[in-house]
Amino acid sequence: MEAKHKYAFYLGCIAPNRYPGAEAAAIKTSKKLGIELVELKGASCCPAPGAFGSIDLNVWYAMAARNLVLAEQMKMDIALLCNGCYKSIWEVNHKLKHHDELRDGVNEVLKTIDMEFKGSINVYHLAELMYDKDIVGVDKVRDSVTNPLTGARIAVHYGCHLMKPKKERDFKDQDLLNTEAPTWMEELVAALGATPVEYRQKMQCCGAGGGVRGYDIVHALDIANEKLINLQDAKVDALTDICPFCQLQFDRGQIEIEEKFGVKYNLPVLHYCELLGLAQGMSPQDLALDLHAISCEPFLQKVL
Amino acid sequence: MAKIKGYPEALEAKLRDRYMYGDDAHPEFTDSVEKISMTIPHMCYQCGTCTASCPSAPRSSYRIRKFVRRVVLGLETEALTDPDLWLCTTCYSCTDRCPRDIAPTDVIMAMRNLAFKRDIIPVNFLKTVQAIYTTGHGVPNNDVNRAARVKLGMDADPPTTHTYKEFIPGIQKILDYYKLKANADRIVKEREG
Amino acid sequence: MAERKTKKETAPKKETTAAVKKQAPKKAAIGEQPEAKKEARVGVFICHCGTNIAGSMDINAVQEYSKSIPNVAYVDNYKYMCSMPGQAVIDKAIKDNKLTGVVVAACSPRLHEPTFRTATKEGGLNPFKFEMANIREQNSWVHMHDPEGATDKAKDAIRIAVAKASLLEDLFPKSVPVERAAMVVGAGVAGMQAALDLANAGIKTYLVEKTPTIGGRMSQLDKTFPTLDCSQCILTPKMVDVGRSENIELMTYCDVESVEGYIGNFDVTIRKKARGVLTPKEAEARGIVGGGCNGCGDCEAVCPVVQPNTFEEGMKPRKAIYIQHPQVVPLIYTIDKESCIKCDLCVKICGDEKRAIDLNQEDEFVKVKVGTAILATGYDIFPIENKTEWGYKRYENVITSLEFERLICASGPTGGHMVRPSDGVAPKKVAFLLCAGSRDNTGIGKPYCSRFCCMYSLKHAHQLIEKMPGCQPYIFYMDIRSFGKMYEEFYYRIQDEGAKFIRGRVSNILEDPATKNLMVYADDTLLDRPMKLEVDLVVLAAAVQPAADTNRTRKLFGVSCSMDGWLLEAHPKLNPCGTTTAGVFLAGACQGPKDIPDTVASAEGAASAASIPIHTGHVELEPYFAQCIEEKCAGCGMCVNLCPYTALALVEKDGRKVMQVTEAKCKGCGTCGGFCPGGAIWMNHFATPQIVAQIDAFLLGGEQ
Repeated sequence: MEAKHKYAFYLGCIAPNRYPGAEAAAIKTSKKLGIELVELKGASCCPAPGAFGSIDLNVWYAMAARNLVLAEQMKMDIALLCNGCYKSIWEVNHKLKHHDELRDGVNEVLKTIDMEFKGSINVYHLAELMYDKDIVGVDKVRDSVTNPLTGARIAVHYGCHLMKPKKERDFKDQDLLNTEAPTWMEELVAALGATPVEYRQKMQCCGAGGGVRGYDIVHALDIANEKLINLQDAKVDALTDICPFCQLQFDRGQIEIEEKFGVKYNLPVLHYCELLGLAQGMSPQDLALDLHAISCEPFLQKVL
Repeated sequence: MAKIKGYPEALEAKLRDRYMYGDDAHPEFTDSVEKISMTIPHMCYQCGTCTASCPSAPRSSYRIRKFVRRVVLGLETEALTDPDLWLCTTCYSCTDRCPRDIAPTDVIMAMRNLAFKRDIIPVNFLKTVQAIYTTGHGVPNNDVNRAARVKLGMDADPPTTHTYKEFIPGIQKILDYYKLKANADRIVKEREG
Repeated sequence: MAERKTKKETAPKKETTAAVKKQAPKKAAIGEQPEAKKEARVGVFICHCGTNIAGSMDINAVQEYSKSIPNVAYVDNYKYMCSMPGQAVIDKAIKDNKLTGVVVAACSPRLHEPTFRTATKEGGLNPFKFEMANIREQNSWVHMHDPEGATDKAKDAIRIAVAKASLLEDLFPKSVPVERAAMVVGAGVAGMQAALDLANAGIKTYLVEKTPTIGGRMSQLDKTFPTLDCSQCILTPKMVDVGRSENIELMTYCDVESVEGYIGNFDVTIRKKARGVLTPKEAEARGIVGGGCNGCGDCEAVCPVVQPNTFEEGMKPRKAIYIQHPQVVPLIYTIDKESCIKCDLCVKICGDEKRAIDLNQEDEFVKVKVGTAILATGYDIFPIENKTEWGYKRYENVITSLEFERLICASGPTGGHMVRPSDGVAPKKVAFLLCAGSRDNTGIGKPYCSRFCCMYSLKHAHQLIEKMPGCQPYIFYMDIRSFGKMYEEFYYRIQDEGAKFIRGRVSNILEDPATKNLMVYADDTLLDRPMKLEVDLVVLAAAVQPAADTNRTRKLFGVSCSMDGWLLEAHPKLNPCGTTTAGVFLAGACQGPKDIPDTVASAEGAASAASIPIHTGHVELEPYFAQCIEEKCAGCGMCVNLCPYTALALVEKDGRKVMQVTEAKCKGCGTCGGFCPGGAIWMNHFATPQIVAQIDAFLLGGEQ
């Protein structure tokens, strides 16, 4: 299929360096949906909004602006697959476009490396593009499915930094501005033939953000653990996310939770792109699902 | 009767709270927090919506409402030296719900910025800085992942600064502009030797 | 002068056209102006206003300067110019110095212009020979830290005022008769009370209500705070009185369609929405003797269409032909045209004798003339589902306070059995959320305090405790605002009865899908502890907002609103019932959230204010109207279309067309005068030579 939409693909850190299957799946599944993801050469960490935002917001602005300028030079909008990256890349783009003083400050720094932020591009999350019927839309996602995930009970972890704070977001679809009880991701899950499952405290944070996972891992895991208990009560086969950092927290976090709290969940955690890949017929090997800390096997047996 | 140890000095210390935060009330702290955060903590009416929304509050002594209160009163040292400052996961639930349209999350971030200026910062934040300074990535690639990437038919390294290392000096220039690496190295060395 | 005196006698009594005719030639003689100016002897009186003015500028310097202004014949200053001795200074100075004009440099004309006009009149001058220089609101108060600048600015202001005062002319307010009838829009407790007061004062009153019955919000309430009277019990006698009053013409199921005219003479067109059901009177008019609706309800029984009853907040069904509740006034059925399927069953059962039902009835328009009008359009509940965190409309057991009122009311959908919507079971633990959408600056809710939620929530808690032993109410609050008479005592009582108060705003609510119970999350700020409380039912004390049609109605009457949509009073403290449109008044919650006592008080105030012009029989209009200088008028008619008050018209005169002003309609806005290409429009008191003199005085710094 001829790609109708082209984006500079901003990778971030955790997808390419911990869950390469998610990156591979994003590229392949998008192509089937008419989206071409083009390499954004030389991009760095977004940088991590919790870590860098906490140290010095000015550095956060400047570092994110550098990544934005790389895409501006390609004259392409950015697509990305991580909520944390969205927070940095989208929000800094938005802030610099609207605050002259901030932009001037950032451009003074960028001048030292011969760059200038112009504010000429937009930033999108892949999940947002998949839901947007002017780009892909739920129907087209459903049509692309060759291996429906029938019978699988899948819960959604929306994460925080894509949709919150809502007053600073400008999504055109009202459900993406509903941070209390959204259902748009459930629609995308249902499109794959799976059964989306609601659970208590669906919109609660994974606990990893703001540098807390590094600062006080027990505290961070305790937040994730609360969600895992709720997920277990809802009897789900897998959890899907749209943020590799949340994925790391829930996936690797389960091992750490077992170590520290002595409880075991064995709940597979998959990025939505990985799920979509499975539904479009990619094999678990194509998705490097063996790299996941929690085995996806029981889930795979159900859907393959 | 035996004299109670430390009195009257101990009593003085106990009564200190009554003196309306005399020693530690800095209006300029309120101003700088507002400038950095680009929000309006001085408009807080202490309803507690933020704390009730906070995933960290029920499992710790972290109370975002109290941090905002400290900003209102200019209690700089009390705010910046409280280790709870670093328990915000930046989930922005408080910001979404605050009826006074304050962004308490951004207030916390601004206070963390000000704490860093006093060298108050958990080491893990600085290690992220060091990793980005050398590789461009906060979570850099490793051998297991490289092998997996190759198996997937991808390049061992992603087309980021990992492949295009010529971009790393530019990143270093930005970080050096703010003396971030030097400060990070110094503080890590002080803490860990 | 002699000629002008004659006018003083005749002008007010003359008909509009005649008055213009008499005065117009005088305006044409603009060439006389320089001479008039030469004769002018203006007195300048500078007020200290205690230290309000004197504290920020050099009064002596201003006084010395004023003496040097051309045409100034006398200058004085006084501590309080508005005091009796201050006014006496003006009176005496006019007589002693043969002054022709007066300038008082003091506060805003909004405050004391009438005072000084009276003083000017006392001194023997026409009161319109007075001009005010504002050196307080626009000067001393804003330049408190710049006395030198303030002094210079005061000199400018006085010089400008003197320039105008030198050219001011005698003017005579026009008196118009007032129609001996009033209109009240909205028949809730405010509108009913206002209408009853007017009617009892002998004034014919049209009471216009958009719904099929009078009674409004108060008739939906179960009990009232703090006295705990039954709301219907105290309201229905008033409803009956309204229905029976000879002086009240009740117009239910009607909308105001258009308003023309001005104080004393409003022509109002009312749309009588087609009810589909004839009143006995209407039936008689159609020759059906002894027919029309008698409220028997046979039609309702046979109607096959079921709709939610809005009076019961949608919690009870009604038919397509309906009355909202048994105590409606008037007791006439109404057909909901939207949902009626025209099956004719009701027509058949109504029978040949009554023949009350006409499914093809059309809207009718009725014109009435009134002297004054009162708006009492009330409030609606803010769509609280927009605050998504509390899950209204998402969770069955989250209800609004108004729904609570219906549920606990003996005549309500459950017969007064307090049950929760999901399973009809009586709740054991109920959370009340105060400030739900009020005191909210997010742009989703309302920034203001809705004012009566604290008190009715206390009342709700009391009702639960009284009616359902063992049921525990929890009140989540930020502040309890118990400001009225016996309100704080009521708060004390409810606390004593066992309601639990939690000082924290609820951040969000989650539902247990199995039990439909609700988890309420808040910060107990007094314990400094985040809490989660499982309850059976949540009641949201939702913010209120102006009723749906308020904006359309207010525009018809030329009334302004504040940013949040509530109708704007003429003065928040000293004229809370008046508006900036003469003859239009406000009653009840349309002006801002009000509980019942405040609403009734406001209604009585509005009725009193609205009856004054009617009892006086005539009103004086400020003579600031436009006049046509017929010699200059080319009859182009462009001003006619520009006039926002339809006060202008083209008329034939001596074989050519000229513009004519209906003075009573003209508000003196100056739109026509500023536009007229031929300079043929003379704005009384703001005439071109007067304004030009002011501009010159300012720009030329007093040099001629």
